[in-house]
Amino acid sequence: MKMDPSPLVETRSLSKTYLIGDVRVAALADVTMAVAEGRFVAVTGASGSGKSTLLNLLGGLDTPSAGTIEVGGALVSSMDREALARYRRFGAGMIFQSFNLVAARTALENVEMPLIFAGVEKKERRHRAAELLEKVGLAHRAAHRPSELSGGEQQRVAVARALANGPRLLLADEPTGNLDSRTSREIVGLLAGLNRERNLTVIMVSHEEALVREYAQEIVRLRDGRIVAAEGTA
Amino acid sequence: MRFADAVEFALASLRKRRLRTFLTASGVMIGIGALVSMISFGKGMQKNVTAAFEASDLFNTVMVMPSGPEGPSGDPDERRPAGRETGRKDAVLDAAAVAEISRIPGVRTAYPDINFPALVSLEGEEEFRLVQVVPAAVAGSKAVEVKWGRPYATDNEEGVIVSRTLARRLGTADPAAAVGKTLRITSVSIDLGQIMSGGLEGLLTGKGLPVSQEAHDFPIVGVIDVTPFGGGPSPMQNDVLIAPGPAGRIKRLPITSIWDLFRMQGGRLGYSAVSVKLGSLGDLESVKSRVREMGFTTFALADQFEEITKAFFFMDMILAAVGMIAIVVAALGIVNTMVMSILERFREIGVMKAVGAGDRDIRRIFFFESGAIGLAGGAAGCALGWATSLLINRVVNFYLARQGMPFVNYFAFPFWIFLGAVGFSLIVSLVSGIYPARRAARVDPVVALRHD
Repeated sequence: MKMDPSPLVETRSLSKTYLIGDVRVAALADVTMAVAEGRFVAVTGASGSGKSTLLNLLGGLDTPSAGTIEVGGALVSSMDREALARYRRFGAGMIFQSFNLVAARTALENVEMPLIFAGVEKKERRHRAAELLEKVGLAHRAAHRPSELSGGEQQRVAVARALANGPRLLLADEPTGNLDSRTSREIVGLLAGLNRERNLTVIMVSHEEALVREYAQEIVRLRDGRIVAAEGTA
Repeated sequence: MRFADAVEFALASLRKRRLRTFLTASGVMIGIGALVSMISFGKGMQKNVTAAFEASDLFNTVMVMPSGPEGPSGDPDERRPAGRETGRKDAVLDAAAVAEISRIPGVRTAYPDINFPALVSLEGEEEFRLVQVVPAAVAGSKAVEVKWGRPYATDNEEGVIVSRTLARRLGTADPAAAVGKTLRITSVSIDLGQIMSGGLEGLLTGKGLPVSQEAHDFPIVGVIDVTPFGGGPSPMQNDVLIAPGPAGRIKRLPITSIWDLFRMQGGRLGYSAVSVKLGSLGDLESVKSRVREMGFTTFALADQFEEITKAFFFMDMILAAVGMIAIVVAALGIVNTMVMSILERFREIGVMKAVGAGDRDIRRIFFFESGAIGLAGGAAGCALGWATSLLINRVVNFYLARQGMPFVNYFAFPFWIFLGAVGFSLIVSLVSGIYPARRAARVDPVVALRHD
């Protein structure tokens, strides 16, 4: 197997501790991992094992207590607030278990949102958002609001939104947690397809072993904030 | 994020919470409305008073009074407070002094402020009034605006000018109809020499007053209109004006106050005041100093105008302060609404951050929201203030018209009031938005996305 000389995502001794009252709780401790570009990596573990914390750190939503994160050569762990916002805008797209679409806006407008913060001109971003919706198979639902869409459709909109500014990294936090098994398969299949066709690097948190085994190329297992196993499936 | 997009985001959010936006903007509207009508009232007063002064030629007038720091007043009882009479110089403001003042370069006319009490009657109706002696030159000037009929032409013409108010009170409502009617002036006179020789005792006890009455008839040649802001040392304060010639033939009580008795100098009674009209305002200082050298005091409205302007500035400040109370309440309303909005949109803020919104983008959206509330409220407030003022003006004038007062605009609306009000409202709303906007920008996306 050929090793990628410089991985897209690399963490070193990554730690995150929360202060709950007077007690320090380590959500993540000493996580060192590397993900090569174009890989589909699954992160699994019981709830409270630190999966979501890891993803939030990789997505630039949260900042580590110790250790470093490097994505595409940029040191995410030492970015200031404005640089982190830029990183979230262009560097990494995220999707969530609860979709996190803005209820008052249509599917198309939700996909447009990252383009708005990127300062893309209106006509151009309409065009790009429509294209993305078509890619996830929702062109016919563009004018609908999230409440009028099924769970699977909402997650597709979220995927389209995550890809709006063309990031090389897609982070999915339990994307199938609110979906039935058939729809779950469709969504993970969509992510796998994007991974294949666009060489998109996907890091997906999930505890659905069957799906993970079927689609992920690597599995990172967490327990109590530490990596207990890293295995390849393909 | 583009400016237009931030505005669009802000407006979309305001539209979504229509009722609350409307209520908050209404608070701003009321505050700005109050401020606009308050300031326009202050400006209206200032404009009216200034215009009345300018129209009445008062800036070119210097009042000359016997020495003593007294100012002119329309009320004879307040004119000479007792304490001020002591230590007076010997200069007497008599006919010789008036003649001397008339010769000072720059003086157009000087005439004594003579008035005497008399019973005036017109077609059976009677009123007790002060009759004022005014030279024809002044009666025909801007200082006395004869609106119906004409002023008397010479100092010897047998004719009087009356005010519209007096004509009304004497039963002639139409001022034009009063012209040509005959006014009877019944004067009261006292033998002064007898008082001085008999001492003050009889006078003070009210016994033994050698009073005689005589009546004179004069045609009304002109009627002057009521000047609602014509205060100050104006010759139009009295309701009957008469030329010096015919006035001299009326035996009259030469005093309007008991203090006049103490003003006598060697049996000579001076005038209480002399009006001096200047050819131009440039001669004011030289004329004043010459008159002072003669031993009299002077009062010029032009000197007071700066004080008046200052007084109006303070009045504006007080009115604005009252209006500001409403603005502060409105500003708190904006802060309240915006903080509520943050709590409601907590998760949405998290989503926006997750997809790449920076602190600055969030701050801008919230800032524009409160700005839009201020702008809308400010514009509506201008309309409200304007409409309210119009209404108050109508009502006040309706009641004053019944009392014979002419129509007056009590409010003034220079265009800067509206510009200033909207601008001020915008600034207040933006300041109100600072805290909410900062707070929204500091929202932690991890916490916000976990929030239900």
